[in-house]
Amino acid sequence: MAYVALSEAEKTFILHGVEEDFRCDGRSRRDYRPMDLETGLVSNASGSARLRLANTDILVGVKTEIDVPNPLTPEFGKLEFFVDCSANATPEFEGRGGSDLAQELILSLQNAYESPFAFDYRTLCLIPGQQCWKLYIDILILECGGNLHDAVSLAAKAALYNTKLPRVTARLLDAGITDLIISDNPYDCTRIGIDAVPLLVTVCKIGDYCLVDPTAEEEVCSTVSMVVSVSMRNNEAYLSGTHMTGGGSMHRDTMLNSIQLGLSMGEQLNSLLLKMLKSEEERVGPKRPNTVGFLK
Amino acid sequence: MLRITQTKNTLLDGATIADQLYTTPKDCEDFFESIEKPTQVVVAPRSTFIRAGVLTTVRGSAYMEYGNTKLMAIVAPPRELVRSSVRRVNMGVINCYVNFAAFATGDLESVPEREKHLGSMLTKALEPLVCRNEFLNFQLDIRVLIMDDDGCLLSTAINCCGVALIECGISTYDLITASTACIYRGCPFVNPSAKIEELFWQHRGGNALLGSSGSTNKDESVQEHGLLINASMDNFEQLAQCQQCGYLKPETYVRLLDYTLEINKSLRQLIRRVLSERVKEQHILDMREREEERLEDERLAIIIERLKQQGLHEFIQSNIKEDPYAKK
Repeated sequence: MAYVALSEAEKTFILHGVEEDFRCDGRSRRDYRPMDLETGLVSNASGSARLRLANTDILVGVKTEIDVPNPLTPEFGKLEFFVDCSANATPEFEGRGGSDLAQELILSLQNAYESPFAFDYRTLCLIPGQQCWKLYIDILILECGGNLHDAVSLAAKAALYNTKLPRVTARLLDAGITDLIISDNPYDCTRIGIDAVPLLVTVCKIGDYCLVDPTAEEEVCSTVSMVVSVSMRNNEAYLSGTHMTGGGSMHRDTMLNSIQLGLSMGEQLNSLLLKMLKSEEERVGPKRPNTVGFLK
Repeated sequence: MLRITQTKNTLLDGATIADQLYTTPKDCEDFFESIEKPTQVVVAPRSTFIRAGVLTTVRGSAYMEYGNTKLMAIVAPPRELVRSSVRRVNMGVINCYVNFAAFATGDLESVPEREKHLGSMLTKALEPLVCRNEFLNFQLDIRVLIMDDDGCLLSTAINCCGVALIECGISTYDLITASTACIYRGCPFVNPSAKIEELFWQHRGGNALLGSSGSTNKDESVQEHGLLINASMDNFEQLAQCQQCGYLKPETYVRLLDYTLEINKSLRQLIRRVLSERVKEQHILDMREREEERLEDERLAIIIERLKQQGLHEFIQSNIKEDPYAKK
């Protein structure tokens, strides 16, 4: 993550705050920072979302393309992630400086979305074995304020919710060739089900305690963090990909505790995110929100 | 409409070594039907062979066979950082490079991606092991060559690198051992073979879905499937890396975790024995070398003694052998 210079005294201060369950910004160990989420602000993309989690700023755009499905999985569509660390975030991302971080984020997202239970690839299928949708999820990191994994996954889920795939009808021609007709009515579209789409929750270990949503300063103090990917299905939380990061190790019991913490936080986040997305969508007509974008 | 773009292996002169280029979901189904499902989980490592110090050209090297999985790890002594702008300046940097030998796997298309993935996971697993504070501003390059792939690649690589690091004399906090366990359609497997792992990787778990919704019932029950790789350092019961993929309930996760921890314990015994034997072997070699040195010293002492007795000129004269050609 972005490099923040902290003195020993500052680190001790943060550590003591975590022990007292009263962090530098007044949160407890299980609290998230305030989030701003807006969907549908990029008009060129099929779906988009911008998430601002305190100082972390993420912009996600979803682009669609028609592709041939993999012969091994004829009923499945395709999903591709791309993370770009903007040099605006920190000077270290200049040139190819952010590629390691981007690679790590891509790998953890791919891992989390890999299972067909986590993301229903069959909704992206047009004609089995012949045509399917391919979604490009482009993630742009505009500012690093810690907790990138969580922010990126939240924004990606919101962008997927916002994605509108144009309705496609197929006509069978001679010799088994099909002709696709894509609807040109922008309101005639299908949506992607996001109920089971996983969220990543980073559980960070500082001193003897685990906490969620670390700031950039807290990340410097932490020895190890556990990235837990939580997918909700039938009101049950499932793990769809976890790994440890940060260059430290932890005890088995600590790890299981942090997974529990991650699961419960993921559950809450998921229900809140769905609620907010639904309420945003329901505000139609005169109540319809203006696109704010970056003009705040 | 199955279009096949065959990737050619340049080293094998265009030939491919896969018996079947593509396995369809149906094949995997058949395969899963054909294998015997273990009725009870035998929590033990596969037959293992580890040897430290197999190469003389590098400081630290190790070769490991884990069942049919064969690989080699090479550790070079730390060297100064090349990249000027590194993020963590207060710790040494570990770089892991994983390479498949050209003959290691039949599926060549996904090789670069897998190499990258394995490399990054291996780095993550080894970071807690090495005392990185001991070599600031230095980087440690670890290379792994995979010669045969029969599953459990990452865990075998971690085991092998752990041995190679110690052989190289890099200080570590503990011994590291790793193992793999997975679950597929309710059947737990420990040390899954390449064929079983393929059920997860190649089809992205698509088979699990096919199997569960085969009768097109809408309220499909979730079939758990997942793979867990766990690297542990048992002295202080620390987990260095615990990576999971697939779709698991938390309870199943704990179950798989405990299997792997059990295997790690027995692997640890083995690695310990291998390392202590290696030290003994090295000690014998050292003793022999010292003996040779001692003999050499003795020989020199005799010469010096003679030199003192005879004087320089006489000594040189006595040592000149007559040149048979110069005589004429």
